[in-house]
Amino acid sequence: MKKSRTFNLLSKTTFIYLLFTFIAFFSSALFLTHETDEFIDYELAHRFEKSEHRLKHFIESGKSIDRLPSSLRLTLLADSTKMTNYPVYRDTLVYNTELDEMHNYRKKITVIESSGQFYRIELTKSIHDYFRLRDDILGSMIPAFILLALGVVLFNYFPSGYLFQPFNSILRLMQTYKVGERRKIGKIETSSTEFRRMQDLFHQMIDRIEDDYQNLKEYTENMAHEIQTPLTIVRNKTENLIADEAVMERQAETIKIIYEESIHLSKLGNTLNLITKIENNEFSNATRVRTKPVIEKHLAGISELVQLKSLALKTDLNEKHEFYIDPYLLDIIFKNLLRNAVIYGTNDSPIRIETTSDRLAISNYGPPLNFPAEKIFQRFRRNHQSKMSLGLGLALVQKICVLNNLRIDYKYKDEQHIFEITESH
Amino acid sequence: MKILIIEDNNRLALDMAQFLSDNGFVTEIAGTFREASDKLDIYQYDLVVLDLGLPDGNGLELIQDIKSATPKTSILILTAKDAIEDKVHGLDLGADDYMTKPFHKAELNARIRSLLRRNKFKRSNILQINEIRVDFVAIQAFVNDSPLTLTRKEYDLLLYFMQNPDRLLTKESIAEHLWGDHIDQVDSFDFIYNHIKNLRKKITSAGGKNYIKAMYGMGYKFVTHK
Repeated sequence: MKKSRTFNLLSKTTFIYLLFTFIAFFSSALFLTHETDEFIDYELAHRFEKSEHRLKHFIESGKSIDRLPSSLRLTLLADSTKMTNYPVYRDTLVYNTELDEMHNYRKKITVIESSGQFYRIELTKSIHDYFRLRDDILGSMIPAFILLALGVVLFNYFPSGYLFQPFNSILRLMQTYKVGERRKIGKIETSSTEFRRMQDLFHQMIDRIEDDYQNLKEYTENMAHEIQTPLTIVRNKTENLIADEAVMERQAETIKIIYEESIHLSKLGNTLNLITKIENNEFSNATRVRTKPVIEKHLAGISELVQLKSLALKTDLNEKHEFYIDPYLLDIIFKNLLRNAVIYGTNDSPIRIETTSDRLAISNYGPPLNFPAEKIFQRFRRNHQSKMSLGLGLALVQKICVLNNLRIDYKYKDEQHIFEITESH
Repeated sequence: MKILIIEDNNRLALDMAQFLSDNGFVTEIAGTFREASDKLDIYQYDLVVLDLGLPDGNGLELIQDIKSATPKTSILILTAKDAIEDKVHGLDLGADDYMTKPFHKAELNARIRSLLRRNKFKRSNILQINEIRVDFVAIQAFVNDSPLTLTRKEYDLLLYFMQNPDRLLTKESIAEHLWGDHIDQVDSFDFIYNHIKNLRKKITSAGGKNYIKAMYGMGYKFVTHK
């Protein structure tokens, strides 16, 4: 299953706040610019109008236009044909010698009519102050935005960290809780409704799981006990028959079958119980176990079987290789894998056991499987259908590996069956 | 040798009692915690076979009582529970050995004999059947007086036969005795065959008779008479 990338909630909310703040600021900046421009246009239009009015009044009073300041540039038009082209507005920059800077001006060129005469006038107004006002408004928005953004980030990380503390504590409780311990779970004090609800649900869930677990455990234990005692009786009674020569003379084959099947049944029960116990995490004394001494112990245990089959043991064990696992479960892994190698290993061939710093491999020579390799860990899957083999050994090993974050792989290469175990992270 | 069998299943208890009397022990049966407790107060036993799951109490609680009242009494726990904690706990409390159900009766016999031998220093450390003799202290087998060079497993095998003479020992029972659960019993039949072949050869070439007979394809018997 592919895991998509995750982000923590705080980063997400912070990002969304920032995005919204930015959009809000950007749109208000646009709005303000637009408003300021309209205000400037309106103000200037008003001032131009006033000037025009005064000029008109001046001309009408009959005074000579020559007495007007030259900057006004009033000229008498010969005809009125070009009137339609006016008024014209133009923004220009003019150098101000006193202040040694460029100033903005707006120029209006228009035509006014006074007692039948048409005059072209050029009016110039400084808009420098207006523009400065506009720039100041916009300029103040950027620091305001930065301040606000910083505020959002700080608010989210510091006080929210405080707000989320009960949540993290509850998570820690969940993480460290082990089913079957029947430990009293601590209660985290919180006034947040959501967290309190989550915690209540967690407690309810644990109670339910503990009940189920307890029931299952009792059932398993009862099964183990109740089934084994009758099986013991069957076996022991059969042994009585076996001891009776007269009976054996006539019924050896029948008795043999009853005897073998009763043994098969009890081993099946034991092994299935063991798998259930492993699934229930009953072996929870996991520690870091160095594998070399454990492997050596198991090799000593099978050395004589190895000799009888003239197999050779080839080991290359890394002193530092270790697994994080309950030692009892590690024993089961080695017992089954080595047993497998001895049973299925071709006579006079080597069995290899190798560990590096992070990997364990056990291999033996043998003919290929008669079923698909991916089914090798299935329960009751055996190579040649040897009737009395349980077919649970590898299923057991795989179960242990999965529950202990170990990865087990099987491959068939160069006539060798190879099992590999690595720690999965 | 007096043995108390504490077992709540009457059929099983009777069967064990019968088997152990056939092997020369005096047996008594207690079916409940209470009954066992009463018997232990009154009589002395050389060995107690103890089932842990009793209807009116946990057998583990009897261990300390037995050990404080009669420290020489050996205790063999025999239970359907194969939980390691129980095993470790039982042995910690003072039990001498632990077997899980179902078991082979020959194995029960061998374990009881080993326990009794261990706890009684006065008893002979020698087991002899005809010309074959086993010295437990030296861990050495002899044919007449010449020592046999046996591997550890061959020695264990011979001893198992001699502790259960004239009884058919099934291959399953031999496998479990020799290897415990180190190997699937069925897988080990070839190995048993090899061991027996070698053991026979060593005994006969030292001048002993071939006592080990294959029976019905089921197992082997150490035949002492005929």
